[in-house]
Amino acid sequence: MVWSRGRSERFGDSRDDPATSTRRQLLGRSVVAGAALAGGGIVLGPRARWAGAAPSRAQDVKIFNFALLLEYLQAAFYGEAVRQGALRGEPREFAEVVASHERAHVTYLRKALGGRARARPAFSFGDATRSERRFLETAVLLENLGVAAYNGQAANLTTKALAAAAAIVSVEGRHAAWVSDLAGKEPAPRAADPGASAADVVRSIRRTGFVGVS
Amino acid sequence: MSNVVREDVTLEQTWGELAQTLEAVDIDGALQETAAGAVRATRAGLFRRAFATLAGVAGLATLAEDAAAARGQTKNDIAILRFDLVLEYLQAGLYTEAERLGELTPKTLGWARVVGAHERAHVQAIKNLLGRDTVPSPTFNYGKVTSDEKAFIKTAVGFEDLTAALLKWQAPRLDSRSIVAAVVTLHSVETRHAAWIRHIVGLRPAARAFDQPASQQRMAELIAATHFISSRPRVTGRRRPKYTG
Amino acid sequence: MSRRAVAAALTIGLALVIAAAAIRVARDDRAADVGSSGRSLAAAARALPRPEGPAFVVGKPARLRADETRARSAPVVRPAVAKAAPARSAAAVAPLPVETPEGTSNIVLVLGERTRSGTQWVRVRLPVLPNGRTAWVPRAALGGYRFVHTRLLVDRERLRATLFYDGRPIFHAPVGVGRPEWPTPSGRFYIRDKLAGFGDPFYGPVAFGTSARSAVLTDWPAGGFVGIHGTNEPQLIPGQVSHGCIRLRNADILRLGRLMPVGTPLVIR
Repeated sequence: MVWSRGRSERFGDSRDDPATSTRRQLLGRSVVAGAALAGGGIVLGPRARWAGAAPSRAQDVKIFNFALLLEYLQAAFYGEAVRQGALRGEPREFAEVVASHERAHVTYLRKALGGRARARPAFSFGDATRSERRFLETAVLLENLGVAAYNGQAANLTTKALAAAAAIVSVEGRHAAWVSDLAGKEPAPRAADPGASAADVVRSIRRTGFVGVS
Repeated sequence: MSNVVREDVTLEQTWGELAQTLEAVDIDGALQETAAGAVRATRAGLFRRAFATLAGVAGLATLAEDAAAARGQTKNDIAILRFDLVLEYLQAGLYTEAERLGELTPKTLGWARVVGAHERAHVQAIKNLLGRDTVPSPTFNYGKVTSDEKAFIKTAVGFEDLTAALLKWQAPRLDSRSIVAAVVTLHSVETRHAAWIRHIVGLRPAARAFDQPASQQRMAELIAATHFISSRPRVTGRRRPKYTG
Repeated sequence: MSRRAVAAALTIGLALVIAAAAIRVARDDRAADVGSSGRSLAAAARALPRPEGPAFVVGKPARLRADETRARSAPVVRPAVAKAAPARSAAAVAPLPVETPEGTSNIVLVLGERTRSGTQWVRVRLPVLPNGRTAWVPRAALGGYRFVHTRLLVDRERLRATLFYDGRPIFHAPVGVGRPEWPTPSGRFYIRDKLAGFGDPFYGPVAFGTSARSAVLTDWPAGGFVGIHGTNEPQLIPGQVSHGCIRLRNADILRLGRLMPVGTPLVIR
């Protein structure tokens, strides 16, 4: 299994031990809220600090299944775009290369999840795959969504799962910059990519109308 | 018209070209110590930690002074953050100087402008988080890299790829989950930087389905090989002036 | 069995297999769907924890100001010979040692770069006579660049020093300059170093070395460099009072010391 727990005591206990997390949260709350500094970082005050949930293998399964949902979506989208044949030149090359990456992500996550892998939902992409402009816009959206989703859950993963997720989100970030450049948008619009909650990710997916039998 | 994918230059090749020697560079011990994960335990540091434990147990709400202890950062995390800070100083300085000299081609200059602003913001964020545990910036000598297009591209591609790889190596090694949450927000931006500069010069922005991590040791070797870190010039003195008066 | 019957049986059999597969796929999809895709997605989201709050949030990236003053200087790290043109074969203009007479790093103001046959050359302002001389050195002879936002203007007529930051004045002070027989030279120079704690009240608490040199006191020890420093005779300021140096009252030189980094360009008019 991808998240075998052969880790050193150091990151095993300090991160997963609830007592430690609690103490850290307590200490965190006593930090005087940092003022915003010009052009730079804001150390978060207690109000803004959500606590996620302590990592566990069971939680990894849920998070990876959620990631799998996104990877299914992306793989299907790119596969469909390639099949539609509306793309030329570099956008087509992008679709082909990225389709293979997303398929590899799907394969990896399904293997890691084994019997617990969710099944592939039905997707319908309408005209999102039928013109270059719509394709690029949609790809930008999906890649940015993937980055936000992984970044949102990274700290809730166990160590090994985090390493695996990092290897994947790294490529999603590259995809995002690449296709943004193709679409004439800023490849790196922000100095940092904030994580999104699963609820926000789902909201974005629903808005696309891609998931489910239409 | 496809202008992408001349050759798939791997991470190994780009940083391998740059890393010619394995000499270790000691910049007041900061790089070496952070690579080894050790933090000099000062008396003040010990006091802060003791105070923090007491405060935590007593549930005290205010820790007016000791932000570091209140942050509950472990030595391990401080070492990792310090390493990242030095790297961000280096990159911020490199791109800022390139922008100021203004001698790169327009697209590359545009990249340096945007990415330099990001790295400067990263410096601020990490410095603020470290607070009193911060380290000052080394003195950098970028030589001709900031004005020679070819040298700049090679260096930028190498550093952005390796920085992304480094953050992947560090993230699972951090003790604090909130620092993990913060570091991953930087990591994905570094991968965007990497893909973007590759796209500008016609390299494949995303060569593989999975990106590999690279250790602090690897990054320290790359930094040493660039010889960017130089000694601070002595511009002040105490000798009696001999000016004309 | 007749061939037609076999074919029919096979066709029906195949159809049944396909139908069975379709039913299984449909069931799988529904298992993921639980009635409607919306409910399934919502369920997926509910199963996940909230994101962990990050230890920092990176602020808005700040671009460099367009009106930034960007003077750059660099220390000489290898003894070099400054040349009249960016070529080894060009005439030598002056040696550039690594240290100043005060024992500080020898800084040069950098005015531009040029690459010739793969070697990068840098045009620098020299601390030599005649004042205002520039020449070329290989980039490799210099250390890292330091950028400053400041510029110091000394007006010999108005007897006034003004420090600018990104073009905006941030400091004024009256000055003493050279007597008519020992004039403070005019031209473009830069601040070379800063001395303090030397314990000589004649120069006050802080003394800056500049790249400017007296054109008349050419035999002055250590080259006759013009300094900007404090004084033990504040009542003489403003005035034409010195051997060429620019004198400020001690409170003013202390203020200037907090505002003006070494490497700042200096204009004396």
